[in-house]
Amino acid sequence: MSSKQSIKVENLVKHFGSGDNLVRVIEGADFQVDKGELVALIAPSGAGKTTLLMMIGCVEEPTSGRIWLGDDKVYDNKWLTRETRKIRREKIGFIFQAHYLIPFLNVIENVTLVPQTNGVSKKDSEAKAKELLEYFDIGNKARAMPSELSGGQNQRVAIARALANSPEIILADEPTAALDLARSVDVVKMLKKIAIEQDVAVIMVTHDEAMLPLCDRILKIENKKVVSSDVPKDIHIL
Amino acid sequence: MINLAQKDIAHTFGKFIVTAMGVGMLLGIVLIMIGVYRGMIVDAEVLLDDLNVDLWVVQENTLGPFAEASRIHEDLKNTLRVIDGVDKTAALTFQNIQLPSKFKQVRVVAVGFDPFGTINPINPERIVAGRGVIRSHYEMVVSDKVGFKLKDKIPLGRNIYTVVGVTHGTVSSGGDPLVYISLKDAQELQFLYSNSRIRNDRARGLSGGDSHMVNSIVVTLHKGYSIDKVADDIKRWKHKSVYTREEQKTILTKNLIERASKQIGLFTAILVVVSTIIIALIIYTMTLEKMKEISIMKLIGIPNSIIIKMIVQETLLLGFLAFIFGNMFSHLIYTKFPKRVVLEIPDAWMLFLVVIIASILSSFIGVKKAISADPAAAIGG
Ligand SMILES: Nc1ncnc2c1ncn2[C@@H]1O[C@H](COP(=O)(O)OP(=O)(O)O)[C@@H](O)[C@H]1O
Ligand SMILES: [Mg+2]
Repeated sequence: MSSKQSIKVENLVKHFGSGDNLVRVIEGADFQVDKGELVALIAPSGAGKTTLLMMIGCVEEPTSGRIWLGDDKVYDNKWLTRETRKIRREKIGFIFQAHYLIPFLNVIENVTLVPQTNGVSKKDSEAKAKELLEYFDIGNKARAMPSELSGGQNQRVAIARALANSPEIILADEPTAALDLARSVDVVKMLKKIAIEQDVAVIMVTHDEAMLPLCDRILKIENKKVVSSDVPKDIHIL
Repeated sequence: MINLAQKDIAHTFGKFIVTAMGVGMLLGIVLIMIGVYRGMIVDAEVLLDDLNVDLWVVQENTLGPFAEASRIHEDLKNTLRVIDGVDKTAALTFQNIQLPSKFKQVRVVAVGFDPFGTINPINPERIVAGRGVIRSHYEMVVSDKVGFKLKDKIPLGRNIYTVVGVTHGTVSSGGDPLVYISLKDAQELQFLYSNSRIRNDRARGLSGGDSHMVNSIVVTLHKGYSIDKVADDIKRWKHKSVYTREEQKTILTKNLIERASKQIGLFTAILVVVSTIIIALIIYTMTLEKMKEISIMKLIGIPNSIIIKMIVQETLLLGFLAFIFGNMFSHLIYTKFPKRVVLEIPDAWMLFLVVIIASILSSFIGVKKAISADPAAAIGG
């Protein structure tokens, strides 16, 4: 396994239900994503983008296949660890269309919850969280509750939370769907910056073609398989 | 590590406190119920303790004046004195009467005793105004709960009584207030028939009722004599039932208030079960309300142990606060009850233990629900 490779998927299959209700979502996906790479995942609605992301994120159990995260094989027709949640909190940062912050925790508590669970001290985790919040221009909102912030501010808190555990992998499911174009571009550029600076592999589901040129590569779900293509060079934005 | 329970409660503080108060009231009622039971036991022993005698002599094959009708001759008090070991004796009567009071009649138990005798049932420490009964007619000492003052006139039977003393805390085994009158007055009230009844009886050839009866003779012993031995002698020679003070206590607490205490016990048990169910339901709904957050936490990798800790801590805090509120509530209202309520600290600790166990059991329900939360459901709409 090369040291550049961060995510590798082999012959991944995902079915929901059984018998008459059997839904074949993915039928043998093979692909890999390298460290420092920002990859867009595109497909029509219902094609299985979220499902694929959740399998890589060790949330949804595949039907069969193999998954590597970093140097570790985590799935080989079954989870190779009982503690998939440990993988999630130590290796992965999740970003969604909605912010999914914990409403009874304030901003900095939301951001430091996972690092503190990982054993990082309150002091260190808060220092890092403050840095991230400053970076996202919401340093002055550290003690605010999510209900007191705007949608855009909460989304930035959510991104800070995804980064707080210094993940090897960021899985972003339509992170820009709720944002205007300018903010969307900001977020995607920032994901790219994080990918490069922190050597993180980022998979970003998007419906927004305008975001594609900002990415390094495109993964498409076609005929229940995953195909890779280069980004279109002819679309230019900003 | 961030304390999730504390943060969650702070977020919905008012609701949590009100919920704890509600459960607290329920627990307060549990404490009051136990207090009522304790009060019954205390009440049952007031008269026994005030009299402080060694033996109760009552009609043969009866359980004595508090449990059933008992009639014996008054002069037995003299013949008992010749028995070896007997020191003092006194004849006593006990009867339920209705005292006419300003608004409505009050049910009391009248204790009749010989004011010139050697055993006085009025504990001088309990007199809060006036004095004891010292004349052989028409004086009455009343318990303060009856509502009469010194010098009040009370018409009773054929005569008018004057209140000469007021006592505090004196109640019968049934919780009714006590009044004290002279033995002669008591016998007249209890055993003497009305004039018309006497005339009627004479016309039927019956002789008048014998008023020299009492309900019980109480006996104290000289030091050094075996209570059981003297009791046996009286039984054998006088053909009476004799009870020691302990036996009398047992009759009062076991035989007489056993049913009532079972009733209260069952009530208390049901209340405790209801409280447990309510705590469990509250915790279940509190968990249900947090299912989305719990799913998110699982999704981002928070382990079950932290989520379980949150639920268990919240449940324990709810139980603890409810317990505190319950104690405050019961202490605020217990004096308002017509009968004696005795709140004892060991009972409160018992309840505390029960509440903590109930909370832990309740939290299982919340925990079970939380464990079932699906991390994928967090983003499922
Ligand atoms: N838990 C589930 N049970 C049954 N079918 C599911 C479940 N989750 C997703 N699906 C199905 O899998 C397919 C892919 O869903 P999803 O991954 O959410 O698509 P996308 O994110 O690309 O819109 C859909 O047809 C959906 O109905
Ligand atoms: Mg989706």
